Formats: sequence, structure tokens, C-alpha cells
Amino acid sequence: MNGWIRMKNRMSQRYEGIFLILPWIIGFLLFVSFPLLYSLYMSFHNVRITGTGILHEYVGTKYYNNILFQDGGVFYDQLLPFLRQVLFMIPIIVIFSFMISIMLNQKFLGRGLFRAVFFLPVIFSSGNVIERFLSQGRGQLGFLEQFSISTALTQYLPASWSTPIVSVLNSFVLILWYSGVQILLFLAGRQTISASVYEAARIDGANPWEMFWKITLPAMMPFVLLNTIYTVVDLFTFPGNPIIASVNPTQYGPTSALIWVYFLIILLFMGLVMLLLGRAVRVTTQTR
Amino acid sequence: MEKVLNVLRQRQQQFGLLKWAERLRLLLVGREADKGLLFRIFIYIVLIETAYLYLNPILYMISNMVKGLDDLLDPTVNWIPKAIYWGHLKEAWELLNYPSSFGVSFGLSIGASLFQLVACAMAGYAFARVQFPFKRFWFACLIFTFVIPPQVTVLPLIIMYREVGWIDTYFPMLVPALFGHGLKGALYVIIYRQFFSILPKELEEAAKIDGASLYRVFFKVMLPIATPAIVVVFLFSFVWNWNDSYFPMMFLFKMQDVPLSIALVKATGDLTTEEGRLFAQSIDMAKSFLAVMPPLVLYLFTQRWFVEGVERTGLVE
Repeated sequence: MNGWIRMKNRMSQRYEGIFLILPWIIGFLLFVSFPLLYSLYMSFHNVRITGTGILHEYVGTKYYNNILFQDGGVFYDQLLPFLRQVLFMIPIIVIFSFMISIMLNQKFLGRGLFRAVFFLPVIFSSGNVIERFLSQGRGQLGFLEQFSISTALTQYLPASWSTPIVSVLNSFVLILWYSGVQILLFLAGRQTISASVYEAARIDGANPWEMFWKITLPAMMPFVLLNTIYTVVDLFTFPGNPIIASVNPTQYGPTSALIWVYFLIILLFMGLVMLLLGRAVRVTTQTR
Repeated sequence: MEKVLNVLRQRQQQFGLLKWAERLRLLLVGREADKGLLFRIFIYIVLIETAYLYLNPILYMISNMVKGLDDLLDPTVNWIPKAIYWGHLKEAWELLNYPSSFGVSFGLSIGASLFQLVACAMAGYAFARVQFPFKRFWFACLIFTFVIPPQVTVLPLIIMYREVGWIDTYFPMLVPALFGHGLKGALYVIIYRQFFSILPKELEEAAKIDGASLYRVFFKVMLPIATPAIVVVFLFSFVWNWNDSYFPMMFLFKMQDVPLSIALVKATGDLTTEEGRLFAQSIDMAKSFLAVMPPLVLYLFTQRWFVEGVERTGLVE
């Protein structure tokens, strides 16, 4: 009898729960999975929009062939340099925002004021305003010109690597602008470590340096993973990105193929990050 | 006797010196390294430097916006203009068609963010606390949604919206939000999920024992105590919807009343005259200022709760 009631409860709970999640699932099917599959379908078809309807003409892997082998201009000349630049920007953004959030977590005079300032990038960097700042030459660091670092780099490194490094250095301020959300995420993550852990470590005679490496960093590893993923997503949908700029509703088929190549690269990137950092997360949480 | 006293005195002196050194060390390095003066100074230097980098363009924007012709031509005027000139702001106001575009932006952002606020909370709560079939699969879908760039799905969406006649309407920005999707919807679901999963279970159990249904528990018990998460999601959502120009650009082709983010790109001043070229930058800055002002004001008012909310949500695991 008791078991029956429990089962009935569990059943009703199951169905009740469905109505809470149902809107989201419908939305997922309508606005995410259907367009996703349709765009995959379009990448193999020549799509023409006529007055009476939409015509699909099967062309096979022609567009992919074009992008990767025959006419690789966009892919090899624009996308690969961009990817190299992203490779440099990700660690800089993650490490910088980690440092700032640790500092903002200390107790010091004027902390509230600093925190308010460090949330400003969230407002500014998501719009078109940031590009206006950069076009005014507000994105450079003074010391780069002073010590002519860029010329030194171009001398000692092969051009394929020195160009992205120099452009990263030149847009360093931009990188700082794009770490707003990451600082917030780290700051939130830092609050999940309870003060008693530090108290215990202090009594055991650990110094702050040890505490940082043995407590703070391991506990923050999941947030490092999350932030890296967020940064990858954010950078890959960057307005200045060559692929993003080429998406417009004129040629549905070729553009869909291009964006799918791009999407697969993003997924590959993501998988790599998960593999590398995911292992680190597991190791550190085990040793803890 | 004398010798012994001498030795003792010396020792005392040495000891005193040591004490001073110790005191100095404490002052500089602190009992723990993160409490000392040196570390403080280091923190201040780094933070002030970065804060300056953040504030510099904003101050530059404000200073350039109010420079008149004389100040722009005067090489001695760098940051602070001699007279405040409101002409640029006025011109930017007209170029942007401010009252109309402000209204559109405001309506869209408020609408979308309120929809996301509730819809994402429902989904987040379901993912955190409620059992439903294929939960793990749907959670994988959630993560997947978070990762997909909007550009992958935008072309099919344009075709889809054209079929149902939603192009050149505001529906494409609002309806997905109603279903807990829309701009960065997955991120908000994840934030809510994290928040709800760290709340104590006793609250819901007490309400359930009193016979409340799941919906009553959610809307009457869980949602009201989710204020920190709500503030964070609302502010993020409002600011991002406000600043977003990508979706409006894709879905509003020939609409007259465009949001500010689009007007900012479209409206350009007269560049044919000498004066126009000279003023172009100032007008650009004035336009940027007008576009970014409303979320900034909103942030100034909610900043307290926002910071607190970020700390208390613990955001994502």
C-alpha cells in the first residue's frame, strides 16, 4: 500500500516535472535543433528562394570541396590566422581574469569601487561601442612602442607566428575588455570555497603561497574550465571574426557549408579544451 | 661584573634591533603575505592600472563629446575642454532618432529579459530539482545550445521566420525568449540551475508536505527566494539584448523603427564638409554615449544587488 502510494507520487512527479521543462524543450526543438539540421541540409543543396517557394537542388559536397580545396581563400588566409590569434588570447583572458578576481576578493579599502569599475566591461564590450573605442586607437599599450617589442618579435620569430602575437599585443586592451564576464564567473566561484578551509590551513602553518596552490587553484579548476569554454564561445562569435562577417542571407548553401566547417572547428577546440582541462579538474579534485 | 652587564646590554640592544626589524617586516609583509603593506601596494598598482585602462576610453568618450570647434583645434586642450559644447549630443540625438530607437530598444530588452527571467528559471529549476524523462539527454542538449554560435542557426531561422511572416517584426527577438532560449538563453538556464541546486531541499519538502503542487512550490516558494539569481540574469539579459545588433540586423530588413544598436551603425554624419569631418569623431562619441547610457544607468542603480547576487549564486559549478 505504502509502496503503491510512493510509486504513484513518483509517477505524478515525473509528469509534473515535464510541464516545467516542456516550454524549454519545445523551444529547443523549434529554435535550435530544427534550424541546426536544416542548415546542415542546406549545406549540401543549392537553395533558391522564388516567389512560390523554396527550391532545394542537391549538389553533394561541392560547397565543402570549394571551401577546403579549390577556393580556400577564406579558410586558409583568414580563418587560420584568426585561430592562431585566438589560441593566444584564450590563456591571456583566463589568467588575467583569474588574477583580477583573486585580487578583488581580498579585503582592502575601496574594494566596492574597484568591483564596480571591473563590471563595466560587461556593459561596454557586448555592443558596437567597443569597436568605436578601438578605431580611435584606444586599444594600444604605450610601452610596446617605447621598447619596440613588435619589431623584435618579427625579427626573431617566423612570420606566421609573430603576426598573431603582435596583433594580440596591439589589441591587449581589447583583451582586457573581453574578460568582464570571466572576472564575474571567477569571483562567484571564489565564494564557493568556505573560509574555514583557509582557517584550518592557517592553523596547520600553511603560508598564503601554499594556500593559493593547494586550496584556491584546485577548487577553482572547474571554473577555469567553464571560463575557458565561455571564452572560446565568446571569441568565436566575435564581431571582428572573418567567418562571422561573411554570414548573410544571399547564398544560403555555400554560407551554410562554411559555417558548418567553422562550427566543427569550434567543437574540435571545445573537445580539446575539455580533454586537457577536464583531466586537470579530475586530478585536482581527487588530490583534494 | 661590568663585563657581564655589558654583554647583557649588548644583547638587549641586539634584541631591540631585532624587534624593530621584526616590526618592519610585519608592516611590510604582514603576518601572512596577503596582509602586508607590500602586497597591498602591489594589488593597488595592478588594479588601478587596469581600472585606468577600462576608464580611459569612457572618459575619452565623454571629454570628446563636449568639445566644441575651438577645443578640437586647440592642441593644448587634451582632456578637459575649455567650454562645454552640447551641439554634438544634439546632432547625435537627431541622427539616432533617439526617442524612437530608445523606445524600441527599451521595449525589446525589457520584454526579452523578463521572458528569459521566468522561462529560464523554470527550465533551470527543472534541471536542478525535478525528475523528468531523458533528463541527462536534455542536459547534454542544454550544454550543446550553450556552445552553438548563433550564426550556425541564423540562416534557417531567417527562412523559417519568412515563412510565418515574422521578418520585419519584433517577434524573432521575443518569442524564443518566451521559451527560455533567445540570446544566451542557455547560459541563464545554467546559472539558475546552479543556484537552485545549492538551495536546501527542506524548503520544498515542507511545502510539498503541506500539499502544494510543483507549480505552487516553484512560483510561490522557489522563485521568490531566487532574487540574487534573478538580478544577475535580468541585468545580463537586459544589457546583452540592449547591445545586440546581430539578430536585429538579420531579422529587421526594412523596418523604420530600429533599435539603438542598429541605429548606431547606420547613422553617419555628413562627411562632405570640412567641419563635418572635424566633428565626425566627436559625434561618434556622442552617439556611443547615448547608446550606452541607459544600461549604464540601470547598472549604477542595481550594482549593489548585482555584486551581491553574483557572490551568492555561485553561478556555475
